[in-house]
Amino acid sequence: MGERFRNWSGSLSFEHDRRARPSTESDLRAIVDDARANGRTVRPVGSGHSSVPLVQTSDVLVDFEHLSGLREASTHSMTASLLPGTPLEAAGEILADHGLGMENLGDVAYQTVAGAVSTGTHGTGRTLGNMSSTLVGGRLVIGTGEVVPFGTEAGTDGTDDLTRAAQVALGSLGMFSSLTLRVLDRYQLHRRNVIAGADWTIDHFTELLNRHRHVDFYWYPRRDEVKLRIMDRPDEAVELLAPVREVKERETGQSHQIITNARDLRFEEMEYMFPLERGMEIFEQVRQRILDRHRHYVGWRVLVRSIAPDNAMLSNCNGGPTMTIALLQNHNLEYAPYFDDLEPLFLEYGGRPHWGKKHSQSAASLRTMYPEWDAFHEIRRRLDPDAVFMNDYLRTLFDGEDGGAGL
Amino acid sequence: MTALGKTTWVFSGGNIPRTSTGVEPEFTSRDELCLLNTGGRRAELEMIVYFEDADPSLPFRVVVEPRRVFHVRINDLIDPHAIPLGVPYGLVVTSDEPIVAQLTRVDTRQSALATTVMPGYSVGD
Repeated sequence: MGERFRNWSGSLSFEHDRRARPSTESDLRAIVDDARANGRTVRPVGSGHSSVPLVQTSDVLVDFEHLSGLREASTHSMTASLLPGTPLEAAGEILADHGLGMENLGDVAYQTVAGAVSTGTHGTGRTLGNMSSTLVGGRLVIGTGEVVPFGTEAGTDGTDDLTRAAQVALGSLGMFSSLTLRVLDRYQLHRRNVIAGADWTIDHFTELLNRHRHVDFYWYPRRDEVKLRIMDRPDEAVELLAPVREVKERETGQSHQIITNARDLRFEEMEYMFPLERGMEIFEQVRQRILDRHRHYVGWRVLVRSIAPDNAMLSNCNGGPTMTIALLQNHNLEYAPYFDDLEPLFLEYGGRPHWGKKHSQSAASLRTMYPEWDAFHEIRRRLDPDAVFMNDYLRTLFDGEDGGAGL
Repeated sequence: MTALGKTTWVFSGGNIPRTSTGVEPEFTSRDELCLLNTGGRRAELEMIVYFEDADPSLPFRVVVEPRRVFHVRINDLIDPHAIPLGVPYGLVVTSDEPIVAQLTRVDTRQSALATTVMPGYSVGD
């Protein structure tokens, strides 16, 4: 055995034989060819932020640190082609230098572009899709070692089946050698973070979503109040209607700098996606259950966001306007009783788990959540016929062979 | 004014009531650490929490600016981790400047509000 991998939160740790650091597409092809010839598994890894064993392998872990940067950007087509290992923070800087900006980002920016896209990473905004939805093309090194251009790279408009499969694929179709994202002209945002009452926020959440470009809130279980985080373009920053208890932050800057936050505090996380129209009904149930059962050992917050619908085959937002609820627990405290108790409630309301965070679903239940499940797996088996990119966790998710993913 | 107080404070009677009644966060049952720095230099504090049946916590860090008070709810401490509610705990506060510290408790398990102020045991200069 060679090196040991440890993820961001510390809950995932495993030994692997080799950590490959390719710097060209040809290197990626050679890694796959070698693994295929020797019956070995290859798993691509991004920043290691995910808390589920998507990347776990005892064989070859592929690190994209030397495949980072911009291939090309076009203000004509409003697309940018990025290398897979580009950290989101760097991507934001590079695009801004070219007069461009990403439609949206998540809460943090240390993930890589390929990792964020492949797991359906998202930010917040009623009209803004997850990061995967901005993938319109790219190049994949598939399980046969071949390079397959898709979407705009293959002459389509980015709505073809292969692109819709690649948008959220957990690294199971192959390894991206480049990703082409739909982008906007560079823009600024104005952020307002304020403390407000939980009841008021629940009553006015829909109104807030309709009024502002980005809206989310943290609910603090040991205070039963929220921090509302609202971002708008400076020239569209309408008056804030909330009865503000305290202004925590006001700031204006480039979009990629304003949307993301530094996060040093490590935590475990479970996040589920729900139909937006039932969002606050579900949140009220979650809030009450945490107050009744969990806040004696849970002090960290619950994050509520919204996402626009998309068309990716395995996107948990492809059913319509979506609201998300994320449970956060200190990484050094017990999380299983908390997540285990809330997950059945999430499922009762038709929730679908975030692919990169803790959940206990496996193929039997996941299959029923995604109408295009079979179409995705038909493509996956075609692109990776020898299962070079499959690990035990993916088999649990996709084939149900292990009978349960577990937390 | 000169810096009043001591550099180490010890509280052995911590126990945050597990339940609350009334509107929150105003009436949340809580232990609250009240820190006073009368001196002219900012005080950098480290707090360690001790339990009955678990190892001491990792250090919590707090800053009290010169000539200011700073009140922090023990309930709200989150970095490096939350402190459990409804269990006995002790607290040791060490500071690089002399300070005065008290621990207060608001107990709203019944609707008749109860408050307590606990002086700590002080050590040091």
